[in-house]
Amino acid sequence: MTALNDPLAELLSRIASGDRGALRLLYQATSSKLFGVCLRILSNRDESEDVLQEVYLTIWRRADRFEAGRASVMTWISTIARNRAIDRLRARGPLAYADQIDDMEIEDGSTGADVLLEVAQSGEALGKCLSELDDRTEKVIRTAFFEGVTYEALAHRMDTPLGTVKSWVRRGLLKLKGCLER
Amino acid sequence: MSEDRTLSEIEALAAEHALGVLSAPERAGAELRMAREPVFAALVEDWHARLAPMLGSVAAVPVPDALWQRIEQGLPVNDNSGGRVQFWRRATFGSLGLAAASLAVVAMLAVQKPAIVLSPQRAPATILNARLDTDKGQHLFVAAYDPDRKAVMISSLVPAGTDPGHVHELWLIPADGRPRALGFVPVGASVAIAVSDSMADMADEKAALAISVEAPGGSQKDGPTGPVVAVGKLLKI
Repeated sequence: MTALNDPLAELLSRIASGDRGALRLLYQATSSKLFGVCLRILSNRDESEDVLQEVYLTIWRRADRFEAGRASVMTWISTIARNRAIDRLRARGPLAYADQIDDMEIEDGSTGADVLLEVAQSGEALGKCLSELDDRTEKVIRTAFFEGVTYEALAHRMDTPLGTVKSWVRRGLLKLKGCLER
Repeated sequence: MSEDRTLSEIEALAAEHALGVLSAPERAGAELRMAREPVFAALVEDWHARLAPMLGSVAAVPVPDALWQRIEQGLPVNDNSGGRVQFWRRATFGSLGLAAASLAVVAMLAVQKPAIVLSPQRAPATILNARLDTDKGQHLFVAAYDPDRKAVMISSLVPAGTDPGHVHELWLIPADGRPRALGFVPVGASVAIAVSDSMADMADEKAALAISVEAPGGSQKDGPTGPVVAVGKLLKI
């Protein structure tokens, strides 16, 4: 993905030079998606609102660090949202992980569909590759990704030695990489 | 590379960091490594990009109307001045002119760090505080300067045992932008480092603290030799 075909990349360079209007546009185009990400991880509206605020503040401060060509803007900001939400989840303490809600029955927001198309397309490839893993490995990787659970916590939950969980994950990640490169 | 039977150790760690399965100390170690090793940082970014599409399946949810106002009111002045910072980052973390650019980037970051909103009235407390972050925003050190004791108290949040082959050297970067060596911060420990009288005069709210990663014995020149991994402004709280 290069700056040329990523409509959000231009916004990001304006944000880096202090253009609040550009941040507002980015917010309009992406906030409902990122809010969904925060809610998916935190299952709590108040916390998700706090985190979303932090996310746009982070984007505002760090827009100059975005490297077009490494990732799309959507990937970059989704990763920020996911990481911040997981930080918040971890701050609740190791035993406070909320039960995950797999199907949140909430109406689709006003996110620009074209902006999300790229994510959707690469999501399709990733989803296909994930489904090629054995069920257990797929589940472990998805759980780790959406809950930020450490190897230690995964091992505890699954009542499996840490080394075993670690080798499942590493093998899964290796297969995933190979599959995505095909 | 689907024929590879295992991920290389560096790539496995990058993937695990991106996935989020590392323990808190391992995460801090990985953040430090990202700040220091562009190759490792790039691997982590690549894994973020590989995994991020999982978020594509998450349904969008309308955001409460009032939130934008909250965000806008909380925005500090953005003085990134885009290109220059990018230039210095590349210069610093790239292969060219590492040492010279490190100095420059310290100065740049020190000046460029977003303003933290301080209440306008002058607080009576004289102690200055600094949180030293990587360029990804990870806190690696917290420090306080006490003008009465003429000392910097600094705590390393880097897990003990990380990277035993290097030392972490603390620098004061006063308003003139020229770093002055203050001493060494042991990994995972808290220390008080005395500040000479001449340097004490420069430790004010225009100054910043920075940490560089150096070979044992520290930098042999006027400024950092190794990469600067964390920077923070001195602020009154």
